[in-house]
Amino acid sequence: ATVPVLSAAPCPLPLPAGWLPALRLVRRGSKAVTRHWKAMHFQRQKLMAVTEYLAPRPAVPPRCLPPGKETRQEDNGYVQLLRRQVEEVFRDNRMIAVCQYNSMPGEDMVMMRHYLRKHNIEVKFVLNEIVRPVLSQSKYKNLLPLFVARNILLVSREAKAKEMLRVLKGVPQINLLGACIDDTILSRQGVENFAKLPSMEVAQGQAVGALALLPSQMSSLLQRGSAHLTALLDQHIRRLRDGETGSPAEPAPAQSSGAQ
Amino acid sequence: KKMASKIRVGLRPVKSIVVRFCPFESNVESTRKFLGCINHKKIQATNRNCEVTADVRHDGSEPVVDVVFADGERLIMKGANLTTIEMLTALGSRCNAKELKEEQKSKKKSP
Repeated sequence: ATVPVLSAAPCPLPLPAGWLPALRLVRRGSKAVTRHWKAMHFQRQKLMAVTEYLAPRPAVPPRCLPPGKETRQEDNGYVQLLRRQVEEVFRDNRMIAVCQYNSMPGEDMVMMRHYLRKHNIEVKFVLNEIVRPVLSQSKYKNLLPLFVARNILLVSREAKAKEMLRVLKGVPQINLLGACIDDTILSRQGVENFAKLPSMEVAQGQAVGALALLPSQMSSLLQRGSAHLTALLDQHIRRLRDGETGSPAEPAPAQSSGAQ
Repeated sequence: KKMASKIRVGLRPVKSIVVRFCPFESNVESTRKFLGCINHKKIQATNRNCEVTADVRHDGSEPVVDVVFADGERLIMKGANLTTIEMLTALGSRCNAKELKEEQKSKKKSP
């Protein structure tokens, strides 16, 4: 650090009259503003040290205090609207299918939407952050693990699983993960089985036929005993007649009475 | 930190990819994201003949990615404890290695 030095150089400028000291204080070389770092005057150093900033420290460090309650951010109106829409979807439609959406070219998307619209099936894009809280509070808790990565929902009021599967087969980039039909959660296999089921009228006819089968058999069951007995008696009579007309009479065959 | 969609994989040496998972399980997230990234336009454009199939089951089995390369090699990645980026980089490094090998072979054949 440079220290003010009294150099006993002869003063370059003429002194004004009345000035005694022949020496003038000249610092060693550097001016006030330098390119290198110049040490402050000692008094200034002392002043800066005394007036340094001390950060206020709390008496108890904050990590030792009990954690405060996390204040929930208010949902803005858009989020609430989307939530209401999702709830509406789940309430109104009988069939809701969840599919994974991998990026698809636009025209394919439009064609798929068109074909599905013909069967009254709508395509809805959903955001996971909105659907997850709605589902966790409703009764569809088991659909929660499905909503990871990009998804779309195919919703419809009628349960036309066969047509939906046919359309989805033509689109390789959409994978059916599961569905909720009439409040029943089905996996992909379940949806395929559901599609293979016969229609309601056919199923009803089959049930009625199965139920009517037993009573129709009942009358024949009851009559079986006496019918067997009559048949055996007829056979016996025939043999006796044959025995009379032709060969000598054979001893009557031992009859086991058919009354079982 | 890399984003999974930024990783570019050249699928030329790949013949087919089968992604098998059970969506009702809880460890399928990375596999599903892997499937989503593989179906991206740019990656699909590197090889139009590569068939990507998604096999959705419900038997509690773990998520598996089965890659069959053009020279008959198979790569099986069990995605239960892997992240998407790891799977993509593994597949990408193997594809690059195979492409380099093929280039060297073609250079040797045609001097």
